[in-house]
Amino acid sequence: MAGTVAINTFREAVRDRVLYNLVLFALAMMAAAVLVGQVTIGIERQVILNLGLTAISLIGTAMAVFIGVRLVYKEIEKRTLYTLLAKPVRRWEFLVGKFAGLVLTLAVNTALMTLGLAAALFYVTRGFGRADVSIAVAVYFILLGLALITALALFFSCFPTPILSTLLTLGLFVAGQFSSALREYGKLAHTRALAVILGAIYYLLPNFHNFNAITAAAHGDVIPGALILHNTLYAVLYIAVVLLGASAIFANVNLK
Amino acid sequence: MSVAARARFTWGTAAAIPLLFLAIVPLQKAIDSYPSRMSAPEALWLRSGAFLKAISMGYDSLLADIYWTRAVQYYGAQFETGGAQFPELYPLMSIALTLDPRLTVVPRTGSILLSEPAPVGAGRPDQAVQLLGQAIAANHDDWQLYASLGFVYYWYMKDYTHASQVYLEGSQYAGAPVWMKGMAARIAELGGSRDTSVMVWSEIYQTTSEPRARENAREHLMALRAQADIEALQKIVDNYRGPIMRITSLQDLVEDRLLPSVPVDPAGVAYVIDGWGRVGLDPASPVRLDILEPTKHDAAAP
Repeated sequence: MAGTVAINTFREAVRDRVLYNLVLFALAMMAAAVLVGQVTIGIERQVILNLGLTAISLIGTAMAVFIGVRLVYKEIEKRTLYTLLAKPVRRWEFLVGKFAGLVLTLAVNTALMTLGLAAALFYVTRGFGRADVSIAVAVYFILLGLALITALALFFSCFPTPILSTLLTLGLFVAGQFSSALREYGKLAHTRALAVILGAIYYLLPNFHNFNAITAAAHGDVIPGALILHNTLYAVLYIAVVLLGASAIFANVNLK
Repeated sequence: MSVAARARFTWGTAAAIPLLFLAIVPLQKAIDSYPSRMSAPEALWLRSGAFLKAISMGYDSLLADIYWTRAVQYYGAQFETGGAQFPELYPLMSIALTLDPRLTVVPRTGSILLSEPAPVGAGRPDQAVQLLGQAIAANHDDWQLYASLGFVYYWYMKDYTHASQVYLEGSQYAGAPVWMKGMAARIAELGGSRDTSVMVWSEIYQTTSEPRARENAREHLMALRAQADIEALQKIVDNYRGPIMRITSLQDLVEDRLLPSVPVDPAGVAYVIDGWGRVGLDPASPVRLDILEPTKHDAAAP
């Protein structure tokens, strides 16, 4: 049943013209590809990759947050959830389906944007090299991060209002970007207790810094296979934690 | 879902979540162990402190604190993993000082980190002078800044004329300790003597709060004392005219009652004599005389 919910969520997103952002991305990439040769010397590849991958990440994050926080709320508001739950669909299946549907939407969106980036890169560099493999890894890491943001947005969409959910999701996203700084502050702390607390927060917060390989891709660095595996496992485990929490809360929400 | 099933589900997830988090911790540790090639090297996007001050919307003091903390973090990170290269140290400190010119901990501690030769510091006393000059321009009556500037001139640049002038100028401001005037005279008269060096390093040790800079001062003080001890012991050894032809151990001097006991260095490790009759530090001693190399104290100076 979760699969049916996922496909319907994807169809709904397409119907809502969510993928129209691709037009914006394509225009930005075309403009960048033409302009980059005029304004930079020797770092055209880096500029186009930094710009493209950052845009993929930012657009995906905006979609994950703003669509994610309304996934459950919209179904309650429109009262379609009641019809759905009257069928043999468990609440957790509904949540997992919604999650998978939005991740599928993001994956399609990201894949199309990556094609646009590849086209712009080809225009600038007149070819591809072995170093460009790291671009695919960077895109994959971005997608892992987007899946985690989607899970968080879905978690917060289970209880408060969409505005509060948005703020909480964005807050956790920003905190997750700076979690490494927390650990560093912990090392500078004068008391052991504070260092331990900051260390614990570091591990509790979702570490979005893990999924940032844009610089590595821009410089054509080889990203170790073991890191890809570790990051994948990290994302899967963290998403499982968040979805379990969301399911537990949603199972106890009074929908009457 | 029945009430009982719902309760089972809720408790089940409540138990599973901490277990999953326990699995996340070693994963994150494994990810952290990769060299940080995935992220950008330390870089300053905004290098103009004046511009930052303008856009800080009145929160320039807080921003200065953040930049100073970032400078310290940067120093620590480069010291540990960056090959002891500190290209962004001066810009970070200069920005912090521009944002809050009264944050004098920045030039006082920063000048040592900038001046110390690699691998401890950036080896750029010229940048330290620039930073202290920037601080003095905004705090012209702060004697501690003059003391720091005098120290950089004295120890790192061997510019005894400027060092003496700066100490003398600083001694005229309210709160300046008496030793500053004496220091100015001493440096003008004797240049780089060991006693003067001990005085300036002692001052740094007592007034610096940054742990690494304080430890650096302590190491210099220990090295200076060891250097003086070794010279004094060497004189005793060279002048020895005892029953044995050549001293092979300082214990010989104790047995001849020239010394009350085998002398130890500031770290508590006994001094030794090598096969050529030269007194020195035990290789196991943590005291390092090589950190005094740049100064080459005139042994004849008092």
